[in-house]
Amino acid sequence: MLNDDQRPKGGEEPRGDDFWDVEIEPETDSALERLGAALRQRSSALDPELDHRVMATIRHSPRGYFRAALRWWTQPRPVRISPIGVLATVGALAILLVAVGRYFGGRGDATAVTAVASATGAATSDTRIIRFVISAPRASRVNVVGDFNGWDTQATPLTPVGEAGVWTVEVTLTPGRHEYAFLIDGREWRPDPSTPKAASDDYGSPNSVIIVGASST
Amino acid sequence: MYSTLSDEAVVRRVLAGDDEAYALLVARYRVRFTRYAVHMLGNREDAEEALQDAFVRAWRSLRRCRDPEHFDAWLFRILANRCRTRMARRKRYEATFVQDVRALSSAPADRPPTSGHEDPGYDLAIDRALASLDPDQREAFLLKYVDQMSYEAMATLTGVGVSALKMRVKRAADRLRGLLEERAHVE
Repeated sequence: MLNDDQRPKGGEEPRGDDFWDVEIEPETDSALERLGAALRQRSSALDPELDHRVMATIRHSPRGYFRAALRWWTQPRPVRISPIGVLATVGALAILLVAVGRYFGGRGDATAVTAVASATGAATSDTRIIRFVISAPRASRVNVVGDFNGWDTQATPLTPVGEAGVWTVEVTLTPGRHEYAFLIDGREWRPDPSTPKAASDDYGSPNSVIIVGASST
Repeated sequence: MYSTLSDEAVVRRVLAGDDEAYALLVARYRVRFTRYAVHMLGNREDAEEALQDAFVRAWRSLRRCRDPEHFDAWLFRILANRCRTRMARRKRYEATFVQDVRALSSAPADRPPTSGHEDPGYDLAIDRALASLDPDQREAFLLKYVDQMSYEAMATLTGVGVSALKMRVKRAADRLRGLLEERAHVE
């Protein structure tokens, strides 16, 4: 009888007249030995390029999606282009750049913004009139927001002056220290570059400081 | 440079990203397994395609080789499956292969190389005899008589029990012996 190790593996079942409980030892046969030798000899002439073909296939067959993606990004490959394709690509890039420029340009330009706050006179014995001026050529509206108007973003709009993108407003302030900033188009906070910045800011954007008094600037 | 490495070590190198090390496994098993495939499929072109396919499939799924020490057995099973798939696809052709001697003679480029036997009809007789065997019997006969493997090694390689392999070899031997004797009587 066969033990478990001798039984066929891989789910093979006995078929037909397979007698699994009978030990079979095929006798050696010189004719079959000669046949085997002849087959070995015939097999000696193999294609020497097989190894190269296998390795070439492997080198061009990435294993797994990650390696495929990595190879796609890192492996140089020939690219065929046509003049019309180049023109279309350049045109698309130009349109994209213009659109991006218009979007960000409409929000004001940091390098184009200049401002000045100055005392223009005394409203009463206890107050001063301060003129705020800012240059923001691409802005569509500008407000000055500070502790003097309760940080109301709508309370003190500036008025455009001429065609140069200069905005101005006059505000009556009491003597003392005031913090403020400009709000461009309702979303972009700008400090006044002509005055000192406040030491701290609770909201993440710096404020400017103006001292109003007998010797206010 | 890796020629002294075991199969397991080479497999681990390949899994670590050194794909070029796989060439050693290809070189190590191409002759033995191509010989098997040639005689299983009956022509060299199909055999080399099956072997190339098996090598590439093995590389792609190398992580599923649970016993890298016996990479050869794992590769052999992949190859055996590829050969069976090709045989199934070519079933009609194989029937012709067995029966139409003249068609075989007219397609020398697609046949296995000759043995150099002094009898020019001997190779053709071998082809006919092998092709007439059941694929399982043919496989067992090739491993035993052509690759000269022990039954224990054959069992490791194929995953089939020793007794079943002995039975297959015996049946193949009986069949081949009968065909060869028949041919000798005809001559």
